[in-house]
Parts: sequence; structure tokens; C-alpha cells
Amino acid sequence: MDLLNLIDLAQSLIDGVLFGTTYSLIGIGFTLIFGVMHKINMSYAAASIGAAYLSLMLVSLVPAPVVYAGAALIGGVLGWLIYLICFRFLPINNPLATLMSTVGMLLAIEELISHLTLGMPQNYPALFSSTNIEIGQFFLRGDLIFVFMLGCVAMVALTLLLKRTRLGLATRAVAQQPVAAQLCGMDVNATNAGTFVIAGLMGGTAGAMAGAAIGVLSPLMTLPLTVKGLVVTVIGGLGSIPGAIVAGLIVGGAENLFQFMRGVSERDIYVMLMLFAFLVLRPGGLFAAPGGRD
Amino acid sequence: MDFYLGLAQVIGIHTLLGLSAWCVLHTGQVSLAQGGFFAIGAYAAGMLTSMWGWPLAAALATGALMAAAVAVAVGFPALRVKGLMLVVATTAFAEIVRLFFFNLQWRVQTPAGPVGPDGSLGFGGIRYFPSNGWTTLQVCILIWVLVAAVMFMLWWLDRSRVGTVWRAVGEDELAAQSAGINLTAAKVSAFGIGGGIAGLAGGVFAHYATHIEHSNFSILLATFAIAYPIIGGLSSLAGTLLAVIFIQGFLTEGLRFIGDWRSLLFGVLIVVVMLVRPSGFLNRSLGRSLGLGRATATPQTGDATRGASTHA
Amino acid sequence: MSRRTRTLATLTAAAAALGLAASAQAQEKTFKIYGFGAKSGVVGIFGQQSEAAMQAAAAIINKSGGVTLGDGSKARLVVEYLDDRCNAEEGINVLRRIASQNDAVVAIGPTCSNVAEPVFGILQKKAGDASDSGIQFPLYTDVAAKGGLASLSQWAFRNVPSEANMYKSIFEWVKTTRPELKTFWGGVEKDFAHSNATFGVIKTQADSNGLQVLGQSEWLLNDTNFSNQVREMKRANADVVAISAHPFTSCGVLKEMARQNVKPKLIVGLTSSSSMETLQGCGAQAEGLVIPTSFAPVTDDAKNAAAAVQAVNPKYNMDLHNAAAFENVFTLVDLVEKNKIMGRADTIQADRQKMREALASMKETKGLLGKVGRTDDREAVKPYLFVQAKGGNWVVAHTPKQ
Repeated sequence: MDLLNLIDLAQSLIDGVLFGTTYSLIGIGFTLIFGVMHKINMSYAAASIGAAYLSLMLVSLVPAPVVYAGAALIGGVLGWLIYLICFRFLPINNPLATLMSTVGMLLAIEELISHLTLGMPQNYPALFSSTNIEIGQFFLRGDLIFVFMLGCVAMVALTLLLKRTRLGLATRAVAQQPVAAQLCGMDVNATNAGTFVIAGLMGGTAGAMAGAAIGVLSPLMTLPLTVKGLVVTVIGGLGSIPGAIVAGLIVGGAENLFQFMRGVSERDIYVMLMLFAFLVLRPGGLFAAPGGRD
Repeated sequence: MDFYLGLAQVIGIHTLLGLSAWCVLHTGQVSLAQGGFFAIGAYAAGMLTSMWGWPLAAALATGALMAAAVAVAVGFPALRVKGLMLVVATTAFAEIVRLFFFNLQWRVQTPAGPVGPDGSLGFGGIRYFPSNGWTTLQVCILIWVLVAAVMFMLWWLDRSRVGTVWRAVGEDELAAQSAGINLTAAKVSAFGIGGGIAGLAGGVFAHYATHIEHSNFSILLATFAIAYPIIGGLSSLAGTLLAVIFIQGFLTEGLRFIGDWRSLLFGVLIVVVMLVRPSGFLNRSLGRSLGLGRATATPQTGDATRGASTHA
Repeated sequence: MSRRTRTLATLTAAAAALGLAASAQAQEKTFKIYGFGAKSGVVGIFGQQSEAAMQAAAAIINKSGGVTLGDGSKARLVVEYLDDRCNAEEGINVLRRIASQNDAVVAIGPTCSNVAEPVFGILQKKAGDASDSGIQFPLYTDVAAKGGLASLSQWAFRNVPSEANMYKSIFEWVKTTRPELKTFWGGVEKDFAHSNATFGVIKTQADSNGLQVLGQSEWLLNDTNFSNQVREMKRANADVVAISAHPFTSCGVLKEMARQNVKPKLIVGLTSSSSMETLQGCGAQAEGLVIPTSFAPVTDDAKNAAAAVQAVNPKYNMDLHNAAAFENVFTLVDLVEKNKIMGRADTIQADRQKMREALASMKETKGLLGKVGRTDDREAVKPYLFVQAKGGNWVVAHTPKQ
């Protein structure tokens, strides 16, 4: 492989890893909800994109960073709504029902977005989109670096939230032992709602970052982000947040790498095969979450 | 009339798809791979009739067998994972199948021109039904004969020891294993039979549509496949049929008069149905009182032990 | 009068009034033209605009008296448009539904090429072939543009631009007006039937007009990251870049090109991207993009038609897709009148045959930009021109001789 190719290879990897933060953020949301409730929220990515869409209403009023913050907040609200509609009133031991209700939610959100925007792609504000850092032959996209930084900040904030606040403590307690947590006087429903709000905040950020990185928002983004988010969650280890972070970067980088080596038609095949490899070699995921003692 | 027969055809094909998912869900595994087996059956049967002039029955049977074989092959590694990981693994498998067909290019020269899958351009010209003068009614009857046969087979399996084993595995894997049940055999057999049924459905679909392409076999199709038994109620086969009629007949075609709101209502109504009847239309108690089907547990997507501690 | 009698009297009066109204309604004859396509979902705008165009055309026809049927009576033209959501199975269902209506003589549609292929596939392949049990219903397509589809059945007719002709013309124009452009790089959205098929045409035409094809970049319909593809493009440094993709990914690629400072001397786009979607998503980056299209409001007919669509609903405008639907309505009404189609429930199968034969024997139709020719394989030869994105609008770059 000549030098030019090697540089391109490295560049592909870097671009992919930087873009992978969006996958990490979505993966964190999935894994957080799964870790606490042992249920999948299939509508998570759709709600995240939905939050980004709703934040478009702020675009002409406030500068871009506030729009992103708005997306995050709206994401939190949407998260709480989804908890209320799809999880709160369904029997705890029926994961299939919540799977279906969230699928219904996914379809409804996607349809609502298409309906309200007539399916047309909407411009999303990006920061530093014209700034590019050139290090020798390498070309780092300014906006992707910003997305990466913001993603890291979000993850640190989340970790602090989980480790230092009462809500975080309650979330972790309910995740490990819901019955014992209830015996200790914790309101499981309120805690679960809180978890969804936190996941929603992450999701809104992820949606905004995805929109900023791509430059446009489109309902076409929801399904691929859902699939990639699930892949990231599984590779990272169910319920493990550091796992989701690392897995997101791995998936982002690997995706671009496979695309560079084998072209776009076969790229996803290799990503899926990579997933299988992980499932066979390390079924618990990268960082298997500490199993609850039952 | 033709329209209603056409709708009945669609309902029949989707019922087969739903039944294939029912099989697998019965043993407690949530699999989003049914779309992949559907695709295998569709391409295989379509290729056999349109490229090499095979008779329909042989083509459909071969398609189903190929799908079943792949399902058995997928079933073995599937044992290593459970719950959400299985969902994702099967999703990944279905995507691999779809992308395989996206890349597949295999054309042969026939008197009518080149026929065969053409990569991303799809696979058209599967005109067995119209070329051989099959009327809509005849195709409809064929599909429903297949549905009846599959339902009968599943009902008979359910009443036999196989059904008991499946239900035991679905209810509580640990207990089943302790009772000496071979988990591998149970799960793989369910996967295989489910895959075969999906392959059969796919073969019929290819002939019904005359043109198939990779986008027909997306994750959404697989999600619909498991939606039917979940919404219909896992405890009975009739529930799946009801759910298909509800989704394809009512939500998709029946709601046309609402115009633009149809698509929006689709997702909303699914959420509502789940809120109102989380165990499905024909759940255990209703099923028992109607004399259809028997008790079964809801599969677990979490720890195997977590579900066991609470009662459905 | 007792209360009871009074109620009875009121009810009878109401019934009589309703009866009168109903019979008055029944006096008014209607002739229906059906349409079907994607009215919801990601490509929902196409179907909605087609419907609006059909309704605009119907309004104009009705204002001048309506349709003259085979028995000499005048009927009001009614449009009914069904949603297939760009889904093959639903498209088939919709066709069957339309075909089983006893007031359906012909339908305009579908929108998506991946629906058109199965829908055309279930039609009778050769008209009059008794051994073929395919549906016998004429379709006159407005939007689905993947090459060669009308050859699937003798009941399928299309009024879509010939991409082969248009791209041949545009590259010939490039060769004559910009001889300094020597090299070509292509970009293609591989998993959408239309963009993928058209790219083959684009590449061939670029090559046969003297441009050296250096290579191509590929991506998928819902890809979000184009850094690899644009980097390849940058390395090749071709003079002409063609992007055969729909607005979402086109915009993604154009934005990435702006980011990586890739500035080819000319960018050529896909026909169906010459719509408001592209300009709304990435107007700034699309500046200078040249696309061959079969509609622009350059003639009086075109301008009036565009205004008529806006009158139906101001959020819709006219583009090459629903312009075809508009033209189709007029063409079909003309055929109904010339061929004495009855539009009655008892003559419906005969009417469909007549319509098919009429469509097959058309030599040319009236288009908004001029006369539209017909080919032997039931496709259209539409007048076209080249538009360029300038300042957030599509302006005419060149009207080639045809």
C-alpha cells in the first residue's frame, strides 16, 4: 500500500471515529434504558432526531449552541413522554409489549416528521463547519471535532450525574435490584421516568450532533441510527456506558474503514460480521455490566 | 372482487410471515431475522421459476428448504446469546442477507431477454402466475391452502411433545434444562421451522409481486413479522391471523378513507393496542375461554432469571 | 298536530329534500381519472404535488365545460388520488383497488420506480393475449422514471423524460461550449433504482462526448458520512463531477465538497433533484449545479400551469414531476373525447381497451414546453432544457435544439 493510500486509510479511520461519537451517544441512551429497565426503547433514535427537528424552531432566534441545548432539553421532554406513553402503564414483565409499543412510537414519530416537513431535508446549523485543521496531509473536520468534544462533555456530565447525584444513585439502585430499591423507599416509577429524561437529554444532543455533522436532517436517518445504536449497545455490553462510548467509536471507525477497503455496497456486511465476531468471542460485550445478583 | 382477493393474498402471505415469527417467539427468542429468510425464499423460488423454468411447487419447496437450512445454520450460534443481543444479532443477520441480495448479479438469457437478479436494480420478470394464466382467485386459494397447511402443522406440533418442549423452553430455560430438555434441539428446531415457513412465504411473495429488490426485505418487514404474533397474542395461532387482518386489512387498507392521517394513525394505533391489550388480542385467558390455543409465557429480553421471578 | 305527526312530517320533508338533492346530484355526470403514488412518507411531496396538478388540470377542464363522453353528454371531471406510500405491496393493492372500480378507465401513476416495476409486472404483458391473466388496465405514468419500464407491459405508458436523450444532449453541450473540460468523476447513490440506473447513462454519455472518466464514488440512500467519497473526488481532481443522487445525499455530498474545498469546474445533477428540495437543503452549496429537466416556467403554458397548481394549494409548486401529471390529464381527456369513451359501468372493460389502443396509437401529445413525441415502446420524447441553481432558484441555463 503506497503512502497516499495509507494516508487515506488513516484519514478514513479518523473521520469515522470522530463521527462515531454520534453512535456512542445513541448507544448510551439505549444501554441506559436497557440497563435500568431491561427493556428496549426502539423509538429512541427517532425521538432524538425528532428533538433535533423541534429545535429547528429556535434556529432563527438564537445562535447555534443554544439550538443544541434546546435539542437536548426537548429530547429530555420527549424521553419523559415516551416513558409515560410506552412504558409506564405496561406490565413490567412483558418486554414484548414495550418492544411493540416503542416500535409503534418509532413509526408514529417518523411519520409525523415526514408529514410536517413534507419529507424534505431540513438544513441544520453546524458550528465550525468551515474550519478545518490540517496536520500535514491529514485533514480534520472542525465540526466533527466539535461534535466529538461535545459528545465527550455529554458523557462526562452523564457519568457525574450517575455517580454524584441522588437521581443517579437511584437509577443505579433500581438497575441492580428493583425490589430492594423499592424496599429502601425509592419510587421506582419516578426513577425510571428520570432515567428516560436523562437518556432523552443524551438523545437530543445526539440528534443535534448528527444533524450538525451531516448538515441536514431527514427522516431517512432514523432507521439506520436505530440499527447502529443497537449494534453499539450490544458490542459495548448491555448496560455499560463506557462500553457504549468505546463501541460507538469502534463502529464509526470500522464502518469508514470497511467502506474505504471494500466499497459502500459491502460496507455494512462487514460491520454486521464484526458484530457477530464480538458476539461469538465476547458475548458479554466489551465491558460486561456487573450482573445483578438475583 | 379482484381487489378483495388481492387483499386476501397479501393477508395470507403476511400470516405465513407472522406464523414463522410465532414459532420462534414461542421458544422465548425474539428474532428479527424472519425478513432475511423471507428474502432467501423469495429470491430462490423466483430464480428457479423464471430463470430455469421449474414448476411452482418444486420452486416454493426448494425456497422453503433453503431458508430452513440457513435458519438452522443461524440457529446454532444464536444459542450463545439471549434477549436484546439476540434481537441485534438477528437484525444484523437480516441486514447481511439483504445486502447480499443487493450485490447479487446473476442473469441468464431466456427467449424473453435476460432474466435474473441484477444487483441493486432488483429482480423482475417473475411472471409465473400471469404467464400461466393463474387468476387472482386461484392464487388466493393457493396461498390460503398453504396458510391452512402451515397452521395445521403448527397446531399439531403444538399439541405434540414438540410443542410442550417449545413452551417449556419459552417459559423458563433453566427449569427446562433441569428437566432434561435439550435446549439446543428445541431452539434450533423452532428457528429452522420458522425459517422454512418464512421462506415459503417469500417464495409466494416473489411470484405475487413479479419484481423483488433488496428494499422489500428491510428491518421494517422483520419488525412487522414479530408484530403480528405479539399483537395477536402468543398463545394462539388464530391471534396472529387476527393481527394480520387488523394491520394489513384495517390499518393499511381500511383506513384509506382518512387520507393523510392513515400513516400517522398506524403507529399510534399500534401503541394504543399494546396499552389496551399488552398480551395481544387473543391472550391466554381469552384464548382459553374461546377454546383456542393454550398457555404460554412471554419471552424474556433480559436476564433469564429476572422473568422467572414474576408471573405473567 | 300531535308531536308524533309533527316529527313524521319533518322527517318526510327532510327525506324528500334529500331525495331531490340526491337526484340532482345524480343528474350531474362525472368522469373520474384516478391517480396513485406516494402521498406520505419521505417522498410524500411527489404524490401530493401530482394530485394538486391533476386537480388544477381538472379545474381548468371543468371551467370550460368538462369532458364530452361517447354519448355526447358532458361530464364533470373528477380526480381521485390514492396513496401507495412508495411501497410495492401497497402499490399492487392500490392498482387492484382502482381496477375493480367500475368508474375507472385509466390511472396516472405511480410515483416510485420500485413500485412501478411490480405494478407493471402484474399487468397483462401483451394486449389481447388470452393466456395471460395479468390485469388489463391502462396506466399513464407521470413520475416513475427508471429507464425502460414501459416495455414491461403493453398496458403501461409513460410521460417521463428520457434520461438517455437529456444526458446525451447535456454532455454534447458541455463539449461544444466548454471544450476545456477534459475529465469526469461520477458520484452515485447505489441503492435507489432510479439514480443507479441513470448513472449508467450519465457515465456512457460523458465518455462518448470526449470526457475521460476517471472513476466514481458510491454511497447509499441514507448515508450520512461522505468524507471518503469526497476525498476520492478531491484526489481525482476532475473538471466535471456528476452526482446521480436524490436531494438528501446530494446535499450531504455537496456540503462535504464545500468542506474539503473540492471545486470542480462543472457539477451535473440528477433530473429529479432539480426541485425545491435541493435548494432548501443546501442552496448555498448547490450554486452552479446544472441539471437537465423537462420543466421550467419558460412558456406561457408552463407559467399558467404553475400558477394553477399554486391556486390549488400555495404550499405546492410545479416541477418536472407533477408537470407530467398535469399534461397527462389533458391528454387523457382529449383521448376520451376523440375515442368516444363512454365512462359507464357497463362499458368499462371496452372503455379500457379503447383507452389502451388510443394511448398506443398516439404519435405526439401536447406538453407544457412544446410537443411531446411518443416512441414505439410507449415512452415519451419530451422537450427539455438545462437549469442551473443560482441564488436559491433554478434558472434556465440553456435550451438545446431537439
